[in-house]
Amino acid sequence: MNDVQERLIKCFLAVFPQMGRQEVSSASMETVEAWDSVATITLVTVIEEEFGIQFGTDALERLVSFHSIIEYLQELTKAREAGGSA
Amino acid sequence: MKLIEALEAVKRTPQHQSAVLQVHLACGFTPLHFLTFLDAHLRHQFPDRKVVVRTGLFGDLAGNLERLENEPFSAVAAVMEWPDLDPRLGIRRLGGWGPGQLHDLIGNVRDQAARISDILERIGRKGAVALALPTLPLPPLALTPTWQSSSFENHLREAVASFAAQVSGFQGVRIVSSQRLDQLSPPSARFDVKSEVNTGFPYSISHADVLAGLMARIIRNRLPKKGLITDLDDTLWKGILGEDNVEGIAWDLDHYAQAHGLYQQLLASLAEAGILIAIASKNDPALVEEAFQRAKPILPRERIFPLEAGWGAKSESVSRILQAWNIGADSVVFVDDNPLDLAEVKAAHPEIQCLAFPRDDESSAYQLLQDLRDLFGKQSISGEDAIRLESLRASRVAAEATRSQGTSPEHFLQQAEGKLTLSFAKDSPDPRALELINKTNQFNLNGKRHTEASWNEYLSDIKAFLLLASYEDKFGPLGKIAVVAGRQEETRLWIDRWVMSCRAFSRRIEHGCLLYLFRKFNAEEATFDFVATTRNGPLQDFFAGLMGKPPSGAFSISRWLAEEKCPKVYAQIQEHPRE
Repeated sequence: MNDVQERLIKCFLAVFPQMGRQEVSSASMETVEAWDSVATITLVTVIEEEFGIQFGTDALERLVSFHSIIEYLQELTKAREAGGSA
Repeated sequence: MKLIEALEAVKRTPQHQSAVLQVHLACGFTPLHFLTFLDAHLRHQFPDRKVVVRTGLFGDLAGNLERLENEPFSAVAAVMEWPDLDPRLGIRRLGGWGPGQLHDLIGNVRDQAARISDILERIGRKGAVALALPTLPLPPLALTPTWQSSSFENHLREAVASFAAQVSGFQGVRIVSSQRLDQLSPPSARFDVKSEVNTGFPYSISHADVLAGLMARIIRNRLPKKGLITDLDDTLWKGILGEDNVEGIAWDLDHYAQAHGLYQQLLASLAEAGILIAIASKNDPALVEEAFQRAKPILPRERIFPLEAGWGAKSESVSRILQAWNIGADSVVFVDDNPLDLAEVKAAHPEIQCLAFPRDDESSAYQLLQDLRDLFGKQSISGEDAIRLESLRASRVAAEATRSQGTSPEHFLQQAEGKLTLSFAKDSPDPRALELINKTNQFNLNGKRHTEASWNEYLSDIKAFLLLASYEDKFGPLGKIAVVAGRQEETRLWIDRWVMSCRAFSRRIEHGCLLYLFRKFNAEEATFDFVATTRNGPLQDFFAGLMGKPPSGAFSISRWLAEEKCPKVYAQIQEHPRE
């Protein structure tokens, strides 16, 4: 498991204290009952803090599962690296 | 604190079966992360309480406060922002910013402030209210460019300032310091416009953290330290008295010694507010007295008790001072410029808070003054604060008179002309009673403390009684020094709280109170909710004197035993007429 995943799991466990560590990688808005609009805002803020990023308003629609957030963070990392080396 | 840390703190803190601290967060915005931070900070401030934070309805600060009149709570965190005074002062409503509306807006703000003020006055009587005044910037609705302060803006700020001046005088209401908030949370980094527009939560994370932390501190309302022991040379004044003589010491601008003058000024202010000030100095005692007589420091000699000057270890001087004050080392601050002396005192008295007086560093010295104000800060000055020093001095005079004349304690009490006045008023309880319960350690039945709300709730029981005792004798008044709180059920008294100031020991005040309670309530037995604490040895000794052994848990004493075992009380006992 890479560093980004590990840090994201930490964020999920902070926002969803009832969730077991094994459940995090398959977590989504549909499968986690406690994942409501308030939890989304809290999760977004915790992730922004953890990774030092700001999600755009349009990105919020994509942040519906652990998997989609990982994808988004990886895209962001690649874009940053590309921007840095350019 | 980061948000993830606050979430962890809220999750981690065990919800054990201890007393509940029920705090209502009253605000007009979506509480979101502020709620999390407040919860986390409250758990930090109250590690032994089960913290429960409740919230109200969105966009209705006044209504949320109003509803608390009929709800139980331990404390309230009320956060006011501009839109709570008029929604047009926020960015989530589009009510118009036209020049023609500004006058109406000011009137509306005044009306809403007056409404909130009325509510605060009522709920402040029920319990502590921590109040934050608007912390966010006004939107750009005035005519002037934003670098110019408009008449409109100044009228708004005047309305809020008047509101603050009024409510700060209300019982139970305590306002977050905007100056302290500015230091910790820069105004330009507070407003999160994106979050406000998208979620109704207007604060940046850092601002939410800082504001919640300050409000939790206000709700905690930590007890101030009671005494300060200071060094003299290069601390109270600049210079070494033994080397420079009286002429060589200074505390003013002319001698580049202003920091010492400010320090003296603060100490004089603390002394006037009832804080005990003593000196521990390695110096010739006669020379020190001469310095106070001739140089006349801002902190006058008569405000200092005791003055320990000599050549022994500082820790020994501190021990003697603690004995004279009869207070615990954890209530005391020691200030000295010498790191060695600070370390030596800390080693001998680990509970004392030791602070270094910075040498030739005005900024650090100024910070020390702020730290001291934080350690000794209190809400108001009571009558007891004004007489504390004199009563300590009188106690020493009395003890020395007994020793030098070879008289027995019995003879001393007989001729002391003591007068014990007992008040049983509980409807508007004297705040001194709660203060004594929350700060007394040595003569304390069980160490249990109260918030303002839980105290009022306790006294509201129709069976509850409250005894507040005052004492004076020919050596001077001690003020209000003892509290007994309990309930009567037929001929039995249930004593739930009993505290007495350590200044009042050895006068048989406790015996007088106990005997009077039996007589007043025509009771045959009293049951005491006793719990042994690490510091209530004097109370245990008192009961051991009556029962032959110290108590080990809740116990009962019959009236017969009390009357049989209590020694003669020489003080004249009188009941204060009900107001």
